[in-house]
Amino acid sequence: MSAASFRIEVPELVLARARRGDARALETIYRAFERPAYTLALRIVGDPESAREVMHDAMLRLIERIAQFRGEAPFWGWLRQIVVNEALMHLRRMRGIALDGLDEGDEPAGEGPTPSLFADGARVERALMALPPLTRSVLWLYHVEEYTHQEIAEMTGKSVSFSKSQVARGGSRLRRLLDTHEEASPCLAATL
Amino acid sequence: MPGRDPLDDRPADTALAAALRALPERAPEPDLWPALSRALELRCGRRHVWRYLLPAAAAAALVVALLWPTPAMHEGVSPAAPSASTGIGPASTFPAGSSAATELAQLRQRSRTLERWIAAVTAHAPQDGRDLMAAVEVEDLIGLVDVQLGVARTDADALPLWRQRVALLEDLAAIRGNAFAFAEDGDRAEAMPATFHLVN
Repeated sequence: MSAASFRIEVPELVLARARRGDARALETIYRAFERPAYTLALRIVGDPESAREVMHDAMLRLIERIAQFRGEAPFWGWLRQIVVNEALMHLRRMRGIALDGLDEGDEPAGEGPTPSLFADGARVERALMALPPLTRSVLWLYHVEEYTHQEIAEMTGKSVSFSKSQVARGGSRLRRLLDTHEEASPCLAATL
Repeated sequence: MPGRDPLDDRPADTALAAALRALPERAPEPDLWPALSRALELRCGRRHVWRYLLPAAAAAALVVALLWPTPAMHEGVSPAAPSASTGIGPASTFPAGSSAATELAQLRQRSRTLERWIAAVTAHAPQDGRDLMAAVEVEDLIGLVDVQLGVARTDADALPLWRQRVALLEDLAAIRGNAFAFAEDGDRAEAMPATFHLVN
C-alpha cells in the first residue's frame, strides 16, 4: 500500500462514458479504485462502517462532478482528493468525539527505533488505529499518500507547523505503542 | 514527491513510512457497488428521463404533425382498403361515409405510413440495448394485436384493435426516432474493454 496504488490511469474512453453517466463505466472506475479509496478512507476515519459511508459519499460526489473533470490533472489525484475531503468532512461531523490530535505536551519527540516491530503489519495497524484520528490522518496523508505539509495544512484547515508536529508526535506515539503495547488516549487539545 | 522537504524525513520516519505503506489494502465488505448503483439509478434516472423523453416526445410530435393522414393527402387511397403491409383486418362493414368507417380507414392509412417511416428510420439509426429491448417489447405487442385483428369478424371488433395498433406504432416510432436523434452522437457504440494500468 502506497500512494502508487492510487496512481491508476483510467482510459479516456471510460472517462468519456462515465461523464455521460454510463453505469458500467462508473462501475469500472469504482472497481479500479475500490481498494485504495476504501483503505484511505479507513485510515482517516478509523472504522469500517464510517469508511463505507465515506466511500459511498465520495463516489456519489464523483458521479455528480465527473462531467466537470477536464483532465488537466490525473484522474486518480482528483478522485483521491474527493475521498480525502469526504473523510475529513466525516471527521468534522464527529467533532468532539473523535477529532483530536496530539498537542505540545502530549508526546515527547523520541526516536524509539523499533525496526523489527515495524515488520509486524497487524501490530503496526493496531497501533495506527489507536492514534487520535486527526494525528493518524496527518501521519497517513504525509507518509503514505505523500502529501506535503502545506497541502495537509490546507486540507485540514490547520497550519503547516501543526502538520509537522502531528507527523513528528504521531510517529513517536506510534513507535511507543509498538514498543509498549500502550493504548493511546485521545487528548482534547487539537480539533479539526 | 514534489514540494516535500527531504530534511523533514529522519531515518526513523523512513522506516515508519515504509511500515505504513506495507500495510495491506482493505476492501469494503459487503460490496458497496449495489448500493451505489441504486443511488446512481435514482440520481441519473431523473436526468435520463429528460434526456431521452424530450427527444422521444419531439420525434413523436414530429410524426404526428407530419404524417397524420388528411383526406387531401390521401385522396387516392381507398378508405376501406386493408393494411397493405400487413394484409390484416376484415373488409369494412361500416356504412360508407360513416364516422366509424372513416376512422377505420384513417387508422389503416396511418398504420401504413408509420410502418414505412419506422422501416426507413430503423435502417439508418443504430439502436442501443435499452432502446432495442423497448422496441422488441412494443413489436411483440403489435404482433399480439395483429393476431387479434386476424380473427376480428366485424369492423366494430377491429376498430379498437386498429386504434391500439396505431398507438403502439407511435410508441415504436418514438423509440426508433429517439435512436435516430442520437445517431449523430457517435459515442453510443459499446466501448472497448476497459484496461487499467498502474502509472509508475
